[in-house]
Formats: sequence, C-alpha cells, structure tokens
Amino acid sequence: MASRDVVAYRSPLTTALHVAAGLFVAVYLAWTILPIFIMFVSSFKDLLEAFKLPAVGDWGGVLVFFDFTPTAKHYFNLFGQLNFATYFRNSLAAALGSAVVSVVLGSMCAYALSRIDFRGKKDLFFWIISTRMAPVVAVMVPLYAIFRNLELVGTLPGLILAYTTFNLPFAIWILKGFFDNVPYAIEEAQMCDGATRLQAFRSILPLVAPGIGAFLVLCVLFAWNDFLFASIIGSGGAKTLPVATRELVQPQNIQWGSIMAAGVVTTLPMMLLGLLIRRYLVTGLTMGAVRE
Amino acid sequence: MASVRIANVWKYYGKTVAVKDLNIDCPDGQFLSVLGPSGCGKSSTLRMLAGLEHISAGDIYFGERRVNDLPPKARDIAMVFENYALYPHKTVFENIANPLRLRGTDGATIERKVRAAAKMLEIEHLLDRKPVELSGGQKQRTAIGRAIVREPQLFLFDEPIAHLDAKLRAHMRGELKLMQRRLGTTMIYVTHDQLEAMSMADRIAVMHEGVLQQFGTPQEIYNQPVNEWVAGFVGEPPMNFLDVEVVDEDGRLCLVHPGFRVAVTAAQQALLRQRLSGREARMGIRPDEVRIATATFPGALEARVRVSEPLGGDMLVDAELAGSRLLVKTRPDFTGGMGAPCWVAFDVERWHLFEKPSGVAYF
Amino acid sequence: MAARTGGRFDLGRAATADAAAAVLPVRHVAGVRTIDYAPARLNPQPSRSYYFWMMAPAIVVLAAISLYPFFWLVWMSLHNVEVGAGPDTFVGFANFERLFTRDRKFWNGWSLLLQYSAMCLSLQIVLGVLLAVILNGSRYEKILVTVILMPMMMAPVIAGLVWYYLYNSTFGWYHWLLQSAGILGETSIVGSTSTAMLGLVIVDVWQWTPLITLITLAGMKRVPRDQLEANMVDGAGELRNFFAIVLPNLYPFLLIAILLRFMDNFRFIDVALTLTGGGPADATNILPVYLFDVSFQYFKLGRGAAIALTLLLVTILLGMLLVRLFEGPQSRRADMGSEG
Repeated sequence: MASRDVVAYRSPLTTALHVAAGLFVAVYLAWTILPIFIMFVSSFKDLLEAFKLPAVGDWGGVLVFFDFTPTAKHYFNLFGQLNFATYFRNSLAAALGSAVVSVVLGSMCAYALSRIDFRGKKDLFFWIISTRMAPVVAVMVPLYAIFRNLELVGTLPGLILAYTTFNLPFAIWILKGFFDNVPYAIEEAQMCDGATRLQAFRSILPLVAPGIGAFLVLCVLFAWNDFLFASIIGSGGAKTLPVATRELVQPQNIQWGSIMAAGVVTTLPMMLLGLLIRRYLVTGLTMGAVRE
Repeated sequence: MASVRIANVWKYYGKTVAVKDLNIDCPDGQFLSVLGPSGCGKSSTLRMLAGLEHISAGDIYFGERRVNDLPPKARDIAMVFENYALYPHKTVFENIANPLRLRGTDGATIERKVRAAAKMLEIEHLLDRKPVELSGGQKQRTAIGRAIVREPQLFLFDEPIAHLDAKLRAHMRGELKLMQRRLGTTMIYVTHDQLEAMSMADRIAVMHEGVLQQFGTPQEIYNQPVNEWVAGFVGEPPMNFLDVEVVDEDGRLCLVHPGFRVAVTAAQQALLRQRLSGREARMGIRPDEVRIATATFPGALEARVRVSEPLGGDMLVDAELAGSRLLVKTRPDFTGGMGAPCWVAFDVERWHLFEKPSGVAYF
Repeated sequence: MAARTGGRFDLGRAATADAAAAVLPVRHVAGVRTIDYAPARLNPQPSRSYYFWMMAPAIVVLAAISLYPFFWLVWMSLHNVEVGAGPDTFVGFANFERLFTRDRKFWNGWSLLLQYSAMCLSLQIVLGVLLAVILNGSRYEKILVTVILMPMMMAPVIAGLVWYYLYNSTFGWYHWLLQSAGILGETSIVGSTSTAMLGLVIVDVWQWTPLITLITLAGMKRVPRDQLEANMVDGAGELRNFFAIVLPNLYPFLLIAILLRFMDNFRFIDVALTLTGGGPADATNILPVYLFDVSFQYFKLGRGAAIALTLLLVTILLGMLLVRLFEGPQSRRADMGSEG
C-alpha cells in the first residue's frame, strides 16, 4: 500500500512555489471565465448599458459592469422575431441526425475492423482517419457541387450528410479502439453457447455502450459547433444557430445584445453535454490517442 | 554505515492503519529481513525508511540522526524496487550512474565506479543497452548496481527478486547474501517469501496486520515462534495445528485429543504450570517432526492415509488422525496407499502449544 | 468426448455425435458409421463476408463524401474553373505554377499559418503544462479542470464573436483593460497590422489551452511512480524529478497535442473569419482563410482547388506522423507495465 501521491517535503522554497502556483491558477481561472461571464451578463443588458465603459485607466470604474437593470428582451427578440426556435431545431436535428448515423454505421464498421485482419487494412484505416483530418475549406467546393447536383443544399438531410464527413471517420476510429479492448473470447463463448453472430455482436454492445454513448454526444458537439459546413451547405433552408448568430453581425447594425443571447443559447447546452461526458473528453478530442 | 532504530512508528492512510506502534532496532552492518504477507505493513515500513512516505507518528533514527523530516535525497540510502524502476530512456550505464550524476560526481569517478559495480554484478557487457533489451535477472542486477554504486549507509530492498523465476531466485539469494557480507552495509530486505528471509537474514522481523509479531534470528523464529500465526506462516510445508485439551492426570499434564492422550515433558510442564489459562489449547507440530510408519511401533497412534505426494527426496503424507488433518514429511520409501492405515508419533520435545483463543505460545 | 480418428468423428464412441450427425453427412467406412469432420462448419468463427457487410455501409458513405470530392478537386485544379466566366478549360499545371511562382499571398498564407501555429502552440504548451503540473494531484483537481475546459465547448464562431465584442475599441472590456494597462492605444488589437495576429492567438490560447492541460494531465497519471521514487532515492529533488522523469514521459503526449492542434489550425478558420477576415492588410491572411477568399469571394475555383490540394497534402503527411504516434503512448505503456 502507498499514499495516493508521491511524497513531498516542505521547505521555504516549496511554500513559495505553492503560493505562486495558487496565484497563477487564480489568474488563469479569471481569464478563462471572464469572456463567458461577460457574454452571459451582457445578454441581459440593454444596448446602452452594455456599451458603458469606465474611462481609460479608471480601475475603480470596473463596477460599472454590474450597473444595469437585467432584461430578457434579447432572448424574447431571438425567439420571437428572429426565428431562433427554428434554428435551434435545425441545429439539434442536424447534429443529432449525423451523430446517430455516424455512430450506427461507425460502430458496425469499427467492430468489423477490430475483428478481422486483411491486406491493406492499415491503408484503409489511414484513409478513414485522413478524411476526418482534411481541412473543411479544402473539400468544400467539390462537396458543394455534389450536394447541389443532388439538390441537398439548404436541406437538413444535406447538412446531416455533410456533418457525417467528419463524424463518421471519427466514430469508426474511436470505436475501433473500444472494440479492440473487448476480448474476442466473449463472443466465442456466446457462439459456443449457441448465439448467432449478430447475437454475439449484440452481446458485447453493453460493454462498449458507455463509450458509444459518450462519443455520440461528442459527435453532436462537433456538429453543433460547426460553422463552415452550415454556412455553405446548410445556407437557406437549414440555418443553424452558429450561422444565424453570425448573421446578426450586419455592416450597419450589430445587434450585440442578441448576439450575446444567441451565444448563450448556443453554448450552454454544449457545456452541459461536455460535463456529462467529461471522462471521455480527452479520448475524444485526441482521436483516442490519449486516455484518461 | 549506520544502525537503524524504528521507535513507536505508526502509519495511517486516511483511516486505515498500516503500521501499528512498530519498534525495531537494527545494529550496524546487519542483514534485517522484514517478513510478512501482502498488506502486513512491511512495504509501508520500508517506504518510511526511504522517506517515500511520511511517518504518521513515532521516530526513525539512522545512527543518532532523526530522519523523519529528511527527504530521500538527504538520507543517504539506496533502494531496490520490486519492479526495478529502471529509467527506460537511459542506458544501463546511465541508470547505474544516475545517483552519482545527481550528486555531481566527476565523470572519471563515475566511469570507474559504474564499471566496478557492473563487473561485480557481471553485467559489464550490457552497459550500452536500454532496459527493454534486458531479461528480468539483468534488470534486477542493474537496479542493484544503481543501489551499490553510491556506497550508501543503508540498503533498502523491496521484494527485489519476487518477479524472477524460481531457479534464478535461488541463485540470487546466495548472491545477495554474499554481496551484503562483502560490502558490510546495513541492509533491510522486505519479502513475503519466508525462504528468502530464513536463508539470507541475520535477523527477521515478522509482521502481520501492521503489528510486529516477532523479532529474532531465523533459528528463533523457526524454533520458538511466539504465537500461532508466526508458527503457521514460517515453515514449508506449514505446521499442523490440532485442537487439544490440557488435562491434569495425577499431577502430570497431558494433551488430550480424540486420537491421542500424550503427556508433556517436564520442562514443558514447568512452563505450563506458570501460565496455563484454560483447558482448551492448540497443539502445533511441524510435518517433519512427526514419525510415520505403515506398521505399528511403541507409542504409535493409529491414523489413516488420505493421500500421499512423492516430492522426489521426500514424501508428503496427508493423514487423518481421529478427524483431524495431519501433514507428515517422511522418507520417499513410505508405502502407505490411499485409505490405508498408518501409525504416527509426535516428537514431543519439538511440539508447540498455543493459548486459545489468543494464539500466544506457551512453549 | 468424441474420439477423433483421422479427421472423422467415430460415431460408435462419440457421445456428442447425435448433434453433429444432425448437420453433418453420415457415411459408413469399413462398417463403422462415421461423419465427415468439417471444422469450418463446427467452428463458430464467422466468415469474412459477414464482417465485410458490416463494414460496407460506412465505407460506401465515406467514399461518396470524400473520395469523389477529392478526384473532383484534382480535376478542378487542372482546369480554369471560375463561376460565371464561361466553360471550364484545361490548363494543365498552370494553377500550381501560378501559386508557386507568382502568388505572394499563397506563400504569405503558409508563412502566417506557421507563425500563427507556432505562437499558439508555444503559449498553449507552456500554460497548459504549467497548469497540469499545478493541478495534478491537487485537492481541487476535478472541479478546477472542469471549469477550465469550458471554453473548449464553445462553438469557434461564437468564441470569435464574443472576442470581437471584447476587443471592440469603443465598448470592449478587454480593449479597455489593455488600454488602461498602457499596452494598446485607440486602435483595437485586431485593427492594427502589428497586433492583429496576436489578437487571434489570444483567442486560440483561451479556447484550446485546456486541451493541452487535459492531455498533459492524462500523461502525468501515467508517469511510472516507482521511477519518480527511485530517482528521489537516487538523490533528486522535485524539480530535477520533473525534468528527468516527468518531462521525458510527457513528450509523446505533447507531440500528439501539437500535431492535433496544428491540424486543427488548418481546419478551423471560424475565429479568423469572424475577427479579422484575413485583414488588416493581409496581416492575418493565413492559408485556409486565403483559400476561403479565393473560392468563395473571387470564385476562382480552379486556383482554389490547387491551394486546397497543397493543404491536403500537408495534412496527410502530418496525419501519417500522427497515426504513427497513436500507437505510441498507450501501447508503450503496456510494454512497460511489466518492467515498470
């Protein structure tokens, strides 16, 4: 048995370092939270109050920031006049749709890839991962042309398919790692007991279910936060939250209050989802290279 | 070189007590083995000696120096870890040289000392390799090299040969003992293997559930175990224990069991007269201190062979004596087959009696 | 058990033969009833076609949305494709030639992309590792890590908009902060050619330092404890322990982090498009932004395709490196498990 952490001995130097570390973390936390906090508070401010700023160098004037009467009018504006309810639904449908398609097709493919070996498997695998890494702007033009020919531009199915370009390879790649960790002996035992292949496959699904669930959420997150695909493939009939928010920036009139409110509406659900799959976040964001 | 004194040391992990009020004195230059099953607190003790764990209560002294608050680097110790803990990105040479480098020793001295240590451990030809290219035994030698190269005042060994195969283990036991005698450095060696402790140590500290059970020479531990637990832990095959009653028959004390009624020796009787606390007790006798035969002989008790296991040089007979199991080690020419009757007798000079239920030894 | 004789079940002695006989052909050999021993049919190992069909849907979808566009891209790069400028004409490698010899913005784009990545990554690595070292094993590790990773969840375009607001020279709080500290003048940080890039870097550092922290933390949990302790016994203090044991163990993790972030800088231009759109005066016109402009502002699709192919080529090379690394830290750990 041993303590949880490697032993540490106190000295004046370590005490000083501890204080410095605490300060550093405090400053970092402030810097991390401030933009989100300002976005949140500003979304409840009237336009004039939002633009109030102390004079340059007037450090005491910071409190002006809190000098406002909260109003929810920007939120009413978003959902009342600006049609954000539709955009929210679009975002949700596109993100969820592509996540489900990707995870279903991806887990089947990942399972097969994890269970057999064939010539060129490595190359196939690399091709799959490289489609995920390909810069969106690079493939946007031909993709747009194809989607236009298929009359998918500006439709939800089109957007779902577009998001699948990055979610499907992600799902395959990540889930293969998960299936690799399930010993084949479990399926062999199942099949010896009389299960069919499909039943055997189903029998190991509960073992990978938490992972599959987490990566489904992560696929939703990737798709939800996308801007480029949505602005080009989804433009028109399938406008999503990021695109709609961006459109609030107009040359003559930038509706900051509504933008901040839209930012909150777009960001908050994803932060909650992020917390939900906290344990799988590193694995997901590093394409499975690093596990917690 | 230094003696080591552990005085009233306690170790807690949260609310779990790992070491309870431990007191051990190890004179300078001795080979001390801390023996016990996993979770008995022996590794915690070693790690506190190394400075890798804080001491919850009590003091540890190296010589006259109290080391409680010294970090490992200030304690002048060397330690060999169970998994060797070699640095995978460094060569064998650099692994061994590491403690010297950390002390800023000059290059020529490092070269000389590392080569000398490698020569002693017969790994000179491996100095340019990385740990992944080594076998278990070679890794272990490298780890020992790293420990001896600095000439510390105290060696700490944490189950260093537990992961080697049986043959290599037997070989290393002899080598480690030889090395310690040659260097003359105090050594504290933690193991769960009683054979290692018995064969190498000058003194053994037997620990169980965080408590020091017995501290003594290997002979004392083997021949005069202080309680039933030590008696059962030390020795292979393990000691037999039988529930008996102590009965006074006309001034003569006898141990009574459904299968026998045997009087104790005069010396044992004297001990019992002073301390006997109740009728019930546990008799213990080692398998090689029971005589067994297929035919009866004077003083023999009738038993039955359950199964016999030839071990080559010996025969291990698993017998049944009036409902109790009795392991007997005998000569390989014993012929009793499964279920056959046999006759046994105890070497009453060598048997042990333990108080019930505390397990403390009467003799 | 069935006694096997020469690749057949001898039914005379086979206890389980009845079941086998139900599916296997029965023959009589020299008066003994036997069945042919057919391992392929008794063995539950699924055939390869089963796996093939499981793989097929995903592969087909993926091919349709990646291979097909890729070949189209190659075709376009060899043609003069311009929206509203007549039929496409074959021009050979003219698009590429123009890029490599005459297009200053192309090379400028690469150079800016590298500068941008270098600045982002060096800051992120320093901050991220520092943060991980401090947080690792701390009592508040869980809650603090949860808090600091919040920016990663934000859509990049929203992050761009929020920071656009913060940077604004008349009502932006960060601008006021920088101005009050005497760092900036009247012009917004993204409004001047000398500071605009820094403005982008700050946003990226804000949003993605937590990823480096998370990766580093995962790496630090894998630093073999006994190596740390052995080094302490050998005479190292905490600082030397960090540089001699912790850091070498972190390298593969950091390398993965660097590659991933670098490739994301190819992928995500949302922040740059929102904050600067490549300006002022091309000071932040990193290659993907330039590509966006060529294709979607000037509609020179042929030239755009050529630029896209160079980007793809570099991505693929980096990807190969990354895939090789993927087999790194995790599996190397497995090797070391036995020897510590």
